[in-house]
Amino acid sequence: MPEVSKMKKPDVKIVLLGDMNVGKTSLLHRYMERKFKETVSTVGGAFFLKQWGPYNISIWDTAGREQFHGLGSMYCRGAAAVILTYDVTNWQSLAELEERFLSLTDTANHDCIYALVGNKADLTDSKAQLCQDSDGLVKDRTECNEECEVPSGCPTPPASPTSLPGVMLRKQVINEDAVTLYGRILRYKGLEEKSSLPAEKMCFETSAKTGYNVDTLFETLFDLVLPSILRKRQENQQSPTVDLEECRMVGSKKGRSGCC
Amino acid sequence: MKVSVDIRHSVQHGDGTKPDWDGIMETANHQEGEAAAVKIGDSPLESNQPADSLAASFSLLENHMFPDPVESNGSAAVSRIEPVNSQPPDVSAEHLGLDEKPPSDQVMKLDPEKTKTECQNDVSMQPADGTTEDDATDNDQSDSGEFVVTMLAKAKLEEQGIGVKGRSSPLLEAGTQESSSFTSHRDEDVTADSWRQHRKHVFVLSEAGKPIYSRYGSEEALSSTMGVMMALVSFVQSGDNIIRSVYSDEHTVVFLQKGPLVLVCVSSSRQSEQQLQGELLYVYYQIISMLTQASISRIFEHKKNYDLRRLLAGSEKILDGLLNLVDSDPSFLLSAVHCLPLASSLRDSLSQILQKAITPNLVFSILIAKNQLLTIVQEKTVIEDSRLEPADVHLLLNLIGASSAFQAGEIWTPICLPLFNPDCYFYAYISYLDPPECTVCLLLLSTDKEAFYSVAECKRKIEEAMMAQNSLSLIAKAGTYSVSQVGVSDLRHFMYKPFDVPDNYRQLTQFTSPEMEAPYSSEEEKMRLLDLYRYMHGRIHSTSRPLKLIYHVAERETLLAWVTSKFELYTCFSPLVTKACAITAITKLLRWIKKEEDRLFIRYPPKYSTTPNPSKSSRGGKSDQQDSTDNGFLSLL
Ligand SMILES: Nc1nc2c(ncn2[C@@H]2O[C@H](COP(=O)(O)OP(=O)(O)OP(=O)(O)O)[C@@H](O)[C@H]2O)c(=O)[nH]1
Ligand SMILES: [Mg+2]
Repeated sequence: MPEVSKMKKPDVKIVLLGDMNVGKTSLLHRYMERKFKETVSTVGGAFFLKQWGPYNISIWDTAGREQFHGLGSMYCRGAAAVILTYDVTNWQSLAELEERFLSLTDTANHDCIYALVGNKADLTDSKAQLCQDSDGLVKDRTECNEECEVPSGCPTPPASPTSLPGVMLRKQVINEDAVTLYGRILRYKGLEEKSSLPAEKMCFETSAKTGYNVDTLFETLFDLVLPSILRKRQENQQSPTVDLEECRMVGSKKGRSGCC
Repeated sequence: MKVSVDIRHSVQHGDGTKPDWDGIMETANHQEGEAAAVKIGDSPLESNQPADSLAASFSLLENHMFPDPVESNGSAAVSRIEPVNSQPPDVSAEHLGLDEKPPSDQVMKLDPEKTKTECQNDVSMQPADGTTEDDATDNDQSDSGEFVVTMLAKAKLEEQGIGVKGRSSPLLEAGTQESSSFTSHRDEDVTADSWRQHRKHVFVLSEAGKPIYSRYGSEEALSSTMGVMMALVSFVQSGDNIIRSVYSDEHTVVFLQKGPLVLVCVSSSRQSEQQLQGELLYVYYQIISMLTQASISRIFEHKKNYDLRRLLAGSEKILDGLLNLVDSDPSFLLSAVHCLPLASSLRDSLSQILQKAITPNLVFSILIAKNQLLTIVQEKTVIEDSRLEPADVHLLLNLIGASSAFQAGEIWTPICLPLFNPDCYFYAYISYLDPPECTVCLLLLSTDKEAFYSVAECKRKIEEAMMAQNSLSLIAKAGTYSVSQVGVSDLRHFMYKPFDVPDNYRQLTQFTSPEMEAPYSSEEEKMRLLDLYRYMHGRIHSTSRPLKLIYHVAERETLLAWVTSKFELYTCFSPLVTKACAITAITKLLRWIKKEEDRLFIRYPPKYSTTPNPSKSSRGGKSDQQDSTDNGFLSLL
C-alpha cells in the first residue's frame, strides 16, 4: 500500500475469553461506556480501541458460544494479555476455561499475561453490590442503580437473577479455585510461578452490573502490558527517548486510578 | 469441493427471480381449489364482459407502459385473468372473518380431502381405514392422504396440543421445564392456552427427533411434542413419501425437511402452504448462515442424535427476530429487498466511496441505513456468474439487527450466505458509522478470515470520504415516502416489485413501497393489511391456479394485485373505489414509479476488482484461501 494509513495502529492487544453468558461484553461495556445494559450474545468477535495515555490498546470481545470456537485462536494471535472470564455462580464456566479456552491462547505472545476474572460477584458478595466509579470511590447503591440501565418492563433473564440486597446466590466458585486454576495455567504455559505475576494479583472478582473492580481489572492490565508496548515500539521505531517520555505520562495517569 | 458447486447449482433457480422453494412446490395439486378459504377463483371465466374488458385494459396498459418487443404475451395475460370481480361478497368475508368461524371441535379434522401429501415414489399404500370420510374427489392423492390420516390418528397429534385449542396434553405436562436462560418466550408455559393460541409456531428438530428450536416455549418442554412430530415424519418417510402439510379447520401444519433437519410450522394465519414453506426455508437458511450446510451434514453423519442446540445456543434471538421480521416485513413474502429512497446522485456518490475502499478478497460492500439498503457494491468476478439473492440480504440484515454493537465496536464474524454458497463462510465486518445513534451500518464481506485489519482499514477510508462529502447528514434526511406523493386519492398503499430494474439487469431483486399510513398505522391494522397482501400473493402464486390479476373487494378496502412479465404489483384502495378508478390509479402509479425510479431503486450498481485474488473460490469451486466450513467447533464433537 503506497499511502500511509491514518488508522490509529493499535499498540497492543487484549482478548476477553470465556463461556457464553459469563458477562464479557457487559464487563467491557461497563468499562468503556460506564453503563450496564442488556446485551445480545456476541457473534464472532467485536473489536474496540481504547486510548490509554498515548497508546492505543485494542480489546477483542469474543463470543463464548461453541459455534465460534475455532475463531478464538485467531483473535488471540499476538495477544499481550488474555482475560479468562467465568461466572462466580456457575462452576462449569470455570471448568470451560480450562477445557475449551486455554488452548486457544497458544497463538498469544510468549510473554502474554493471563488474568482470571470471576464476574457477577454482585450476586454472591455484598461488597460487590456497592459500585465504584473510576476514582475508586464507593457510591451508595441507590445512586448507582440510576447508572445501571436495566430496561424496564423487560424481566431479567433467569441466567442473571436480579441481585436483591440481602438475597445472595450460592457462590459456586471461590477465589481459591481460581488461584489454583491460575497455577495450572502457568504450568500449561510452561512458566515459572516465581518469575510470573502472582495469582493474588491476577485473579479478580468483578461485577459488570455494579462496576465493582471493573476499572481495577482493565487498568491493572493496561499497566502490565506497557512493557510489551514499549518493546514493540522500540522494534518499530528508532527513538526510544520518546517512548520513555510517553511511559512517564502514562505513569502519572496511572496514579489517578486508585485501587481498593 | 465439487459437491458444493453442485449444491449451489441445484439451489440457484432457473430465472433467478425466485428462490428455490418454488422448486419444492412443483407437484402441488388440486388442493387449493377444495379448501373453503380459497374458493374464490373457481367461477369459470368465460362470458364475463366486465372482467374481460378489465383484463384487456390491463394488458393494453402493460404493453403501453412496458413495451417488450421480444415476448409479447399480452394475450396470454388476458386468457389467464380470472373474473374474480364477479364473486359474491362472501368471498372476502370468508377470508377476513377469521374469528367468525364456527367453533371447531377439539380434534383436528383430518379427512383426506384436507390432507395433502407429496408422493415422491408412489409405493403401494395401506388401504384406508375408518377415519376417512370422503373418497370421491381426489383419487390421485387419496391413498397418501389416508396414509397420513391413519398416521395422525395413531400419533394422536391433536392431543399433543399442537396449536389446537382444548385440553392440555399429559405428555406436555410431563415435559421438563428447566433451563431456559433466554428470552421470555422461552419461559412460556407450554401447557397454557395462551401458548397454543400463538398465531404461528415454528419448530426445528433433528431427524432423530431431538428438539433444536421452538419459537415459543423452551425446546425441552416441548420435546415430547417434537418427538411425535418426528415419529410422524419418519413413519411417512419409511414409505418413501414426504409429509408436506396437514390442514385442519383452524390450522395449517407444514413440514419441511432439509438434510438432517425437520422444520414444522403450525399456523393459524391462513397463509398458503407455499408461503409457510417459504418461511420455514428462511429459518433453515438462517441456521445454515450460522453453521453452514456442510458442517450440519457432517455433524449428523458423525452423530445421529447430536444436540444441535449446543451450537445454536445464543442464536435463538436471531431466529426469533427472523420470524418476527417474516411476519411484519413484506420483503420476505416478495423475496425482494427494500432499499431506502435516495437521490440518485447521493446514492451514486456513496457507491463510489465504497468502490474505492477495497482490499484483496473483499467481495461485497454494503451500506445500510434504518435497516434498509442504501447501496451495494460487488466484486467483479463474483458478479459475473451470480448475484446476491434477496434472501441472503435478508439474513444479513436480520443478523445485524440481532447483534448489538456499542460505541465504536467493530464486529468480525463468520457468516455463510446460503443461497450464494451454503457450504462456505464469508467473514463479515460490521460497524456503525454514526455512533451513538447507530442507524448507518457498514457491512464488508471478505473471503479471508485473517483480513480484519485490512478490511477495518477500508472502513476508515469510507468514513473519511463520507465525512468529506457530508454524507451522514444527507442520509439522515432520507427516509420512506408517503403514498400521497403519488397523487392518487383512493390509493392507500402499494408494493411494486419490478423483475428487472432498468440498468440493474439480473441484479438484486428489489421492491418499493410507501410508509403504511392511516388507517394502517396501528400494529393490528398493519398486520391486517399484510395478511390481505399475503392472501393476494398466495392466490397469484397458487401452484394449482396461478392468477395474473385479482380484484378483491374486502370489507374495509379493495385490493388489486397484478403480475406481468415485468413486475408484480399489489395495491390497496379505499373500499368504494370503482374498477375504472382503480385502473386509472394504477396507470398513474406506474407512471409515477417510472418517473421516480432513480430514487426508489438501486440502479447502476458499481463493481470493483480486488484481484489478484479473484474470489471465485468463494463459490465453492476450489477453496484454497477460503476457510471452508470448519469453524473449529467440529473438533469439539
Ligand atoms: N447480576 C449480574 N449479571 C450480569 C453481570 N454481567 C453480565 N450479566 C448478565 O449476564 C448476561 C450475559 O452477559 P454478556 O455480557 O452478554 O455475556 P457474554 O460473556 O458477552 O456472552 P457471549 O457474548 O454469548 O459470549 C446478561 O444478561 C447480563 O445482563 C454482572 O456482573 N452481574
Ligand atoms: Mg458477549
